[in-house]
Amino acid sequence: MTTARRVVVTGCGAVSAVGATSDTFWQALLLGRSGIARLPRLVAAQLPVTVGGEVAAVPLGCGDRDVVLANLAIDEALGAAHLKRSAVGFFWATGLDTYQESDRGPVFRPAGSCFAALAHPFGEPRRMIAAACAAGTQTIGEAYWQVRAGHVDACIAGGSSCLLSPFYIIGFAALQALATDDGDDPSSACRPFDRRRRGFAVSDGAGALVLESFETARRRGAPVLAEIAGFGMSQDRFDLNRPPDDGSGAERCLRQAVEDAGLAPRDVDAVNAHATGTRVGDLAEAAAIRRFFGSTWTTKPVSSLKGAIGHAMAAAGALEAVAAVATCRTGVVPPTVNLGDPDDGCELCHVIGPPRRDDVRTVLSASFGMGGQNAAVVFRRFA
Amino acid sequence: MMYLVATAERRSADQLPSEPARLRRDFRRFNLPVQLALAAATDVVPAAEDSGRMAVISLSPCQNGSPELYHWAEAAIAAGSGGGHFGAARMNPTHTLHVIDNLALSAFAIAYRSDGYCLGVGGAPGQAWCGMEILLERLADGREREGLLMAGDQARITDGTGGRGVALLFSVQRRPYAALGRPVELISIEHKRRPTPLPVAAHAAAGLCDLIAALAGHGAGDVAYEVPAEHTDGIDDVTVILRVA
Repeated sequence: MTTARRVVVTGCGAVSAVGATSDTFWQALLLGRSGIARLPRLVAAQLPVTVGGEVAAVPLGCGDRDVVLANLAIDEALGAAHLKRSAVGFFWATGLDTYQESDRGPVFRPAGSCFAALAHPFGEPRRMIAAACAAGTQTIGEAYWQVRAGHVDACIAGGSSCLLSPFYIIGFAALQALATDDGDDPSSACRPFDRRRRGFAVSDGAGALVLESFETARRRGAPVLAEIAGFGMSQDRFDLNRPPDDGSGAERCLRQAVEDAGLAPRDVDAVNAHATGTRVGDLAEAAAIRRFFGSTWTTKPVSSLKGAIGHAMAAAGALEAVAAVATCRTGVVPPTVNLGDPDDGCELCHVIGPPRRDDVRTVLSASFGMGGQNAAVVFRRFA
Repeated sequence: MMYLVATAERRSADQLPSEPARLRRDFRRFNLPVQLALAAATDVVPAAEDSGRMAVISLSPCQNGSPELYHWAEAAIAAGSGGGHFGAARMNPTHTLHVIDNLALSAFAIAYRSDGYCLGVGGAPGQAWCGMEILLERLADGREREGLLMAGDQARITDGTGGRGVALLFSVQRRPYAALGRPVELISIEHKRRPTPLPVAAHAAAGLCDLIAALAGHGAGDVAYEVPAEHTDGIDDVTVILRVA
């Protein structure tokens, strides 16, 4: 057994529908701003769903848009950590195969093409994680375990997604998983945990963290933003299309994460929820969180970012991790945008309206992927 | 220490796994790479001591999707560029499953009630060796006693040709590798950076199939299997070090 090392975050990068840096992203979350909008290209294509979270900073049709998005987040994170690509390992999720817009029309783009285009400058190891919507969190967890075990000193971990295209809109709409535009306010299309929720809004984005051993960071004099204390993962083992109603698979994952951190549920101050705004997913997740905390769930603030930034698939967990790091640093929990009337069964200590300014130090950030893949990471304020 | 216990390769999914029943029921919903990976996995699972507790690593296909999905997408593109609109394209919701990257892992976990470490890697070239490395690390750290590595892929989604599925079962127990009748220990996986990167055509399963073929009929002794460049990530040369007892 290798000796466990403390693992710290020394850099963050975020590109999202509400901001193209981690700072603008965080400020927009605190303001409760939504980046979900009605998109003319989806309207023109007469799709059943016309809203999404587009990243304005990287124009459509830009060659290798997925690579550009990812590199923006990676550059920001490595810049903050004062590290070069060659000095770090690479753990990344790039989502699913897709058709990407180009000057020549839609071009088939396997997910691995983006990873391969990004990987070359990095050191060892270079691993591509494939875990559907849990991929961003899973990637950070895998990287955390690698650094903790001493297999690597520093690495970049996160994910990027560029799936806001007619193909994915049609595909996920066929599964009845997407929020439709009700015509009034497209920015409120995605309503996590709310009684009127109708599904998720697809968005693009990228999130990146620099993880390194505390010893390495201290030696370099690197800024420590937060600590990663634990990681958990589980399979629902239930159904390919939906979680069990009682959220038992997700709960197992949350428990494993805090146990891995040597903590108990009472030590967790807040939860950054996956909650995408689907009928069954949000119910199961709320049940999982309540069971996880037991009677103290009424005091543990929970928020979901999906109402603000949409569901950025493989990037979702990574963007949420950037927010969790910011919460650990500031103690502030951002609100769940578009949540006004929590649904029956979705009762939690929701953050509605203004952000909750508290002394939150330990955050559990969770992602639950299609097929039943669950992942959760424990972040805490560095002390 | 980690020993290769059993391997299986599939080139056709015509013969469905008879067990577990849940897998057999869902099997037709999957695309060819997932079917091949799962069929190969079911071939080696009987050699496992505890299939519910072993580490499972599933390689995502590098060419995911299916001919059905491809032809639908082409029709949608034609409709969208021919004065019509994408929205007119109707799709079978089942086909949405054909792009999910970790579908084989989820289906396996459901079928075998996996309660151990389950990870999906891949989709990019050379990730098979990363999957094998992760198993090596985990079993060496004592986290699990057994590990399964499975993969399925196709050469072309347009017609689903070049399909291959593969599964390798490892154990910390010194047991004979079924195909050789003698223990085969996986010692290490070594990387050496190439002077310049090499473009490679990715196939999640082919490299592992070739490794199995290279082991066939091997006598006692150390093996330094140099992975053919087309099965690496194009960045590193990779050598798999094994010892046949």
